[in-house]
Amino acid sequence: MTLQLGEKHFSSAQPESAARRIVTFKVGDRTFGIDVGMVREIKGWQATTPLPHAAPHVRGVLNLRGVILAVYDLRTAIGLGATEATATHVIVVVDVEDKTAGLLVDSVSDIVDVPVSAVRPAPDLERDEHGLIEGLVLLDTDIVALLDLAAVIRDGGAEAQIKTSRAA
Amino acid sequence: MDPLAELKQTFFQECEELLGALELKLQALDEGSTDPEDVNAAFRAIHSIKGGAGAFGCTELVGFAHVFEASLDHLRSGRVAVEDAPFTLFLRCADAVADLVSAARNDEPATERPDLLAALEQVGKEPQAPVAAPPPAPVAPAPAPAVPAANNDAPIGIAALGNLLAMVEAKTAAPAPAAASDDGWDDEPAASPAPAAGKPGRNVHLRIMPEPDLFRRVIEPRVVLGSLPADDIISIRCDLSQVPPLESIDVSDCWMRFDVDLRTELSVEDLHGRFDFSLANEEFEISFPEPEAVIEVPQAVEAPAAEPEVSSAVAADLSAILAKLGAAPEAASEPDIQPAPAPVAVAAPVVAAEPAVARAAPRAPAAPDNSGRQRQAVSVRVDLDRIDKLMNLVGEIVITQSMLVECVRSLPYDVHAKTAEGMLTLSRQTRELQDHVMAVRAQPVKAVFQRMPRLVRELAQTLGKEVRLVLEGENTEVDKTIIEELADPLTHMIRNSMDHGLETPDERVAAGKPREGTIKLIAEHRAGRIVISVTDDGRGIGRDRLLAKARSRGLVGADERLQPEEIDQLIFAAGLSTAEVISDVSGRGVGMDVVRRNVESLGGRISVDSEPGRGCKFTLALPLTLAVLEGMVIRCGDDRYVIPIASVIETQHLASTPIERLPFGQEVLRWRGEVTPLYRLGDVMGSMGQTHENIVIIAETERGNNVGIAVDEIVGQQQVVVKSLEANYGAVNGASAATILGDGLVALILDIDSMLRLAATGNRPPQSDLKMAG
Repeated sequence: MTLQLGEKHFSSAQPESAARRIVTFKVGDRTFGIDVGMVREIKGWQATTPLPHAAPHVRGVLNLRGVILAVYDLRTAIGLGATEATATHVIVVVDVEDKTAGLLVDSVSDIVDVPVSAVRPAPDLERDEHGLIEGLVLLDTDIVALLDLAAVIRDGGAEAQIKTSRAA
Repeated sequence: MDPLAELKQTFFQECEELLGALELKLQALDEGSTDPEDVNAAFRAIHSIKGGAGAFGCTELVGFAHVFEASLDHLRSGRVAVEDAPFTLFLRCADAVADLVSAARNDEPATERPDLLAALEQVGKEPQAPVAAPPPAPVAPAPAPAVPAANNDAPIGIAALGNLLAMVEAKTAAPAPAAASDDGWDDEPAASPAPAAGKPGRNVHLRIMPEPDLFRRVIEPRVVLGSLPADDIISIRCDLSQVPPLESIDVSDCWMRFDVDLRTELSVEDLHGRFDFSLANEEFEISFPEPEAVIEVPQAVEAPAAEPEVSSAVAADLSAILAKLGAAPEAASEPDIQPAPAPVAVAAPVVAAEPAVARAAPRAPAAPDNSGRQRQAVSVRVDLDRIDKLMNLVGEIVITQSMLVECVRSLPYDVHAKTAEGMLTLSRQTRELQDHVMAVRAQPVKAVFQRMPRLVRELAQTLGKEVRLVLEGENTEVDKTIIEELADPLTHMIRNSMDHGLETPDERVAAGKPREGTIKLIAEHRAGRIVISVTDDGRGIGRDRLLAKARSRGLVGADERLQPEEIDQLIFAAGLSTAEVISDVSGRGVGMDVVRRNVESLGGRISVDSEPGRGCKFTLALPLTLAVLEGMVIRCGDDRYVIPIASVIETQHLASTPIERLPFGQEVLRWRGEVTPLYRLGDVMGSMGQTHENIVIIAETERGNNVGIAVDEIVGQQQVVVKSLEANYGAVNGASAATILGDGLVALILDIDSMLRLAATGNRPPQSDLKMAG
């Protein structure tokens, strides 16, 4: 099950720069969002190969049409433990900085346009020690936490390995 | 990039190849080769550089190349015997050309080399040689089509295209040549002024016999003929007698020959100059018909038709005339004496007579030539990126194919049996496909080796040493990925040998060795690897000094005793340089340790053998490619891994080898009488699931030590496509890369050394080099 997002289509459909188009997805009962432009594709869960001694939220690596990318468990990243991945879980493939990465989430819920003015800076959350939340968007029904993808992924790199090793 | 700049870039790339060829040929000649083809190839290389440089307005380069070419031409014409030629000078000139090329490339001011130019001018100025005379027309050229193009192997391409540009410019600058009528070159002697008998100058007959590859050199006859002054042309005739039968014709070959009559004041040398850009010297002949013949000839060829039959008949007529001309001794002496008529005049009768022989049976030679014609060595430039994509795709196919095999196996037997054979064929074909794609990427190490002679020459001069560099196995092929990585280590190794290894000439003589030191650079394939060695016959590694230095740096404990071989290995330690004087060349201690690190990061290894007083040998072993590797797929718990076969020495059942424990808990086993540390892969790599180690793999580390690695199961052995983990993630401890297995899942490719570091340090990033140095 693979859904290809035509990102160009979306960005050209919205000429005013005053709005952001955001893909929202769920982990448990929480809603997160990222700019649609960062999303390369959305695919069903696929088994990953674990990496030795990687940070806990690094689920492992998988093969996406010949390219190897790492999958990060968003649930683990926000401190809710590991996802029991099943066929209904979803990997959001994103382009962040110059890398491609997968984000393991429960489901993708929507694509919404929000005016830039509706994005509030993230309150100084003590629990968000890695600064994963970039801002909040208030929708009628939900609060969407906009993710700083670079922060999610950065913590999967060597730095996190040092951190965890010190902790250990 | 605008097209011209792009073209220019390509020209410079080509220059590099040409310079490489030039240098190799000169080197060969210097070492005693007397093969005329070496002389020709060197000449053609410089000629092509000059041509392209002219087109792109690199005046300094053209100027130098021209003088250089002229002196090489003396060799070609035999005026200077190859044995007497100053190849050392030529090699230095080749270096100078390389400098000019790179100056032109970077838009830097070029360094003038009047010294070299003056020296070049002296070449061929022996008393018996006519001063700076152009080479005489080949005395007895073989009929062109019978000889495969002499410059088959010369990389032409853009340089030639550059020629074309230059010609087009020249043509537009000059009054439009009369011959440039659109209907071809056949019938009428174009609308030029009638053969004015009163016109000053002399009658010249030009026979233009382009090699069949003319069009492929991106030169067309119009360009060639257009370079003659239009007003001087009396007639142009096209001789189609060489055209092969229709069924065997290759439209990209040029079979046209041209006969041009001129009345011109241009000297022979000027005429040569006109064709400099477009034709090789063998491709045209200049002769001087008797004045009357000039009138006769155009008449005789009044109706040459497009039909080859007719034209050959005409040609026969013409040949009769020419033969007559040749027979007339007067033809040899042209009244209008030019500065250097002698060689030409002597040659003329022969030249004139020759076509008669060639044309006696115009069709006969053409046909067999055509069928047995050597295929032109055609090559294309392909962006490496495209090959990489192709390689990637082939990798995917290999994966899909092995996936299919798994699927088919689970089918009911009768269906399975039917497909099995097809699957087998498919698997063979995919493997073959992969091999071919790999072969496309393979290049001879020559590309790197040919940079070394210059390095050695320059270093020899700087260091005041006399060195002979011997290259062997330049044609050993390796994957492009490796070629790119070879230059730095080789440069360092040679520098090291030149600077530290070889003694000065006086020292050598005092030690009873020849003044001239020898460095051998040898490449060969061995056990699926490329092994490159740099051997010198110098003083060898100064062990006492090296050890003292290592002690003072704290790399070796004061009371530690090392074997001589262990001391030698210290040369690869960081920050060690034993050169007494820190020179420009090497000696800052950032040489061999960097080399070692780079080589190891490529999955290779480097070692040194030294014999005090006798010399030193560095051996570099690298995989043939970084794109695929032969791997053993193993399982541990739920995870599978790939161990490069190159690291595996042996596998055996764990049950048959008793495991013992050292006091600190390290497990060891006895293997071939040696105590070998044992690591459980599942523990080291943190494999998921329950592990049941049954098998031990004895593997070799980069430093040649053996370790045992306990795994659950050996799944199989296969060629795997190496995929980067760094591209989208980062370095992974214990693994060098990853690959995709038949079921589409990723498996890590283990790096034994990195794994051992992981085992030793637990969950920490790789240690810096200091630790490894001792």
